[in-house]
Amino acid sequence: MPNQANILVIDDEQIMRDGCSRILSKDGWSIICAENGNQGLEEIKGRPEQMDVILLDLMMPGMSGMEVLDHIRTFDPNLLVIVITGYATVESAVEAMKKGAYDFIPKPFTPDQLRIVVRRALERRTLQKETEFLRREREKSLRDIATEKSKIKTIINCMGDGVLVCDRDSCIVLSNPAASRMLKAPETCLLGNYLNQCNLPQDLSHTIEESLQTKDMSHTSVSQELSVGEPGEIFLRAHTAPVRNDIGEIMGSVTVLQDISHLKELDKMKSEFIAMVTHELRAPIAAVEQQLTVILNKMAGEVTEKQEQLLSRAKERTRGLLDLIKDLLDLSKIEAGKMVQYKEPLCLQEVIQRVVDLMRSEAENKKLDLQFSSPPKISLIHADRNSMEGIFTNLISNAIKYTPEGGKVWVHLGEEGGFVKANVSDTGIGIEKEDLPRIFDKFYRVKTKETRQIVGTGLGLSIVKSIVAAHLGSISVESEVGTGTTFTIFLPKESVPKLNE
Amino acid sequence: MAKKILIVDDDPDLVEAVTMILESKKYDVAAAYGGIEGLQKAKTEKPDLIVLDVMMPDKDGYTVCKELKSDPHLGKIPVLLLTAVVSKISTTRYTQQMGMETEADDYIDKPVEPEVLVKRIEALLAK
Repeated sequence: MPNQANILVIDDEQIMRDGCSRILSKDGWSIICAENGNQGLEEIKGRPEQMDVILLDLMMPGMSGMEVLDHIRTFDPNLLVIVITGYATVESAVEAMKKGAYDFIPKPFTPDQLRIVVRRALERRTLQKETEFLRREREKSLRDIATEKSKIKTIINCMGDGVLVCDRDSCIVLSNPAASRMLKAPETCLLGNYLNQCNLPQDLSHTIEESLQTKDMSHTSVSQELSVGEPGEIFLRAHTAPVRNDIGEIMGSVTVLQDISHLKELDKMKSEFIAMVTHELRAPIAAVEQQLTVILNKMAGEVTEKQEQLLSRAKERTRGLLDLIKDLLDLSKIEAGKMVQYKEPLCLQEVIQRVVDLMRSEAENKKLDLQFSSPPKISLIHADRNSMEGIFTNLISNAIKYTPEGGKVWVHLGEEGGFVKANVSDTGIGIEKEDLPRIFDKFYRVKTKETRQIVGTGLGLSIVKSIVAAHLGSISVESEVGTGTTFTIFLPKESVPKLNE
Repeated sequence: MAKKILIVDDDPDLVEAVTMILESKKYDVAAAYGGIEGLQKAKTEKPDLIVLDVMMPDKDGYTVCKELKSDPHLGKIPVLLLTAVVSKISTTRYTQQMGMETEADDYIDKPVEPEVLVKRIEALLAK
């Protein structure tokens, strides 16, 4: 910076101006000269910030140096002025310093003396500039922080979710209108109050206290459901997490509240709807099928062969409807997570054996060879027995349905890595390549000449897939048209508890 | 003498169909079209067995069964519960739960196949 400095020399003596120019320009500084006070002030007026150092002769005809100094101070009190005093008049130097001059240099001076004084002033100037720069930066940062704070405050206040922030002494230091609304507590009852003073749901205070005291570094967030107000009035889901500083100490906690009352309401409606479907839809169909059964059993008189044929078909259709209702209910239960809640250590070999035994007569009716192979000892899985029976009943019965007479259906059980692996294969009609990705979709049924006669709801495989997913497993299918199909299921092995547990 | 069976179901069509099945097997059949009526008829008709629907609007089958079983005079009458299996996959669990929750002697899904129904009834009557 010193090299680009501008130095203004105000002196009435040509020899002084030239001398100073010569000495100082050697150091790369650019020199501006003025031969009297007015001219000097003109130079400064337009660009005071560009004048790094001003050398000012005190003894000048017309406007005196002192007067010029006064004017300079009005442009910018920080301008660095070095006064040049004749014959070492200390008094005038002191006076000039009092008026705000930075330094003085008595005439006559050597080039080196001049350089030292100017250089010192320029150093000062550099520091001044840096200080000014830092001051501006700080001002700007403070402004940015204030804007940011105000922005965050607005965001938090406009949020639909409730926010509660506690410090580590369990005092609420921030809350928003949504939190007041959800907790049915005015802001004054929350902000600035300790947790035990503000009548929060007990479960919530407890969770916040716990998160403030947790020693566990991996403790991240806790979610819970709360009921506020009259029973059934407001349901909240609260997520509470500790706030840590850079060395992992807990500094407070943040709780975000969501109003899930409408979700609860929807859930209730869904359950009621399902109950309605179960009864209102099933009951009449069951009654119709019961009536058809009575007629088909000739308990209401003789039935001609044609009538029997028609009624049998009618009964197949009612049966199909009842199956569809059951499948839909199964699916909605699995999706609601209510189906596979009874997980236990399970031997898949036993489950499959049972299903295979049950399906054997069906296979024999179609003259199919149904086989099951498994190593003598197989790892247990952690699963719901009924769901597993459901999976294999579904897959084996599909295999039987889609395999022409004389074919073969076989189930093989094995292990691969941390998984128990089951294959259900057949020598059936197979599945076209373009149908393969969609066979697990709800209501998707492959429509070909061969499948037209086969009844089904189109939900079986999507139920199977949902169950496998609920057990953290995977299912895949390979097929070749006219050759056969293989479904492969992987289910994670039951994790063996450690000895010391 | 023919054994008498009381059918309790709020669906008259179903009552009629089951009645026809049972009459074809020479049973005496009495019918009630609701839980409360079922309890009354159990007292007046003195049936040898009761076929009881679960889902009834006035008083459901579980409650009726409980009241029957706690009655000193009616407690010995076998009860066959007519259930609507809600779920295909969880049949086993459903029946397990049913067995625990009710004091019924047996249960059967509707609609029923005539031979299955008759077999179950015969088994209960033979006890």
